[in-house]
Amino acid sequence: MRNIRRNPDIIWREEEEARDEALRAMERGDDASGEGTVLLVESGMMHQLNLLGGEIWKLLDGIDEERLVDTLAMTFDIDRETLSMDVRDFLIDIDGRGWLVHE
Amino acid sequence: MSRIPFSPVTINWTLTFRCNFNCRHCYSRPEKAPELPTEQVKEIMAKVAKYKVPFINYGGGEPLLRSDLFELTSYATCLGFNVSMNTNGFLMTREKAALAGESGFKTVGISIDSTRPEVHDDFRNIKGSHKKAVSAAKFLKEQGVRLTISSVICRINHTEFEDLVRQARDLGAEQISLHNYKCAGMGFTNKDELDLSPAEWKEFYLKAIALREKATDIRISMDDPITATIHKAPEQAIVKGSTCGKLSLNIRANGDVTPCGFIPVVIGNLLTDDLKDLWDHSNVLEKMRNKKPKEKCLTCKHYEDCLGGCTARAYATTGDFNSPDPHCWVAK
Repeated sequence: MRNIRRNPDIIWREEEEARDEALRAMERGDDASGEGTVLLVESGMMHQLNLLGGEIWKLLDGIDEERLVDTLAMTFDIDRETLSMDVRDFLIDIDGRGWLVHE
Repeated sequence: MSRIPFSPVTINWTLTFRCNFNCRHCYSRPEKAPELPTEQVKEIMAKVAKYKVPFINYGGGEPLLRSDLFELTSYATCLGFNVSMNTNGFLMTREKAALAGESGFKTVGISIDSTRPEVHDDFRNIKGSHKKAVSAAKFLKEQGVRLTISSVICRINHTEFEDLVRQARDLGAEQISLHNYKCAGMGFTNKDELDLSPAEWKEFYLKAIALREKATDIRISMDDPITATIHKAPEQAIVKGSTCGKLSLNIRANGDVTPCGFIPVVIGNLLTDDLKDLWDHSNVLEKMRNKKPKEKCLTCKHYEDCLGGCTARAYATTGDFNSPDPHCWVAK
């Protein structure tokens, strides 16, 4: 299985306050999917990632998909199959945007 | 985004108000402020870096008039900033273009307002300035520095923007920014002569947006919140309305902080104030982030998307952030 990295041309930062709020919302059982926890800028365009997307993004520094899901499973209380599908969908989406490098 | 980012994403930094040009639209020409020495600029850069601001863009004033420009840029790059600048290009040489690359500039923007040299030179009030700007672009490309072109859209060029895009493409620019005209500084003094009518702005944007959607080899940037009334972005914007005070702040030559370069309201000074404290607690920023519709905006169906348009233009012409953008073409 190939390791995956963030495209180094993409400038990004974690929105720490938003992440803390999203984690608190998740603990309360509230929907935090609209909270942008990572901002990224690519070719002059600004984007945001929600909590799951942001946590995946931060882990993409040379990691394979299975290990990525293992690590996320420690934070997200979601069944493994659903988490794997969410991760796969997210990776397909950002790969299509050119945000990933495959080793 | 449900909240304002925890700190600015971009700092627009006027390192100097000095300029070798005397442009007819310039927002900063009438501004005067003492210039900070190198060490104090670095001191502020270090304070800003603490809050993970990713981008610094030098405007001005002409940045190349600062003899410490490349030293400051090297320092900023070491702190993790992505540094860019806008310059008229007149002082750019092959050697300085090389220094721009070595010091870490991510992009350099050259201002060119017409494809016709005599029109550009007249607008910028310097004979030969178009030729120099084109040379500057070539020097930067030779040195591998990423190039952008900036054009201020106004009476002299609004029907010729396709030529401006073509010129930028020919020069090898990755992006052309078609800046909307701001009624600030000299731009206010000369607005009757240079600014477009609301109907002309609408016509320009309809055509420019259509061109942007077709362009594949160059990015066409138009950062104007009133375009939300005629165009739905493919992805939801991070913030609506003006981005100043929500995604960006402006630092003046003496360290004063203003919401943007076109709003001369000082909210603090980074020699003494903390960036995060200003960002979180400034009453001025709070008002800009929570505008209240008035006059024709009160009943306008587009308000929730444009939030009254450009706050700087509204403030420049009425003294009120909440007034409708004078460029707005939507009827009452």
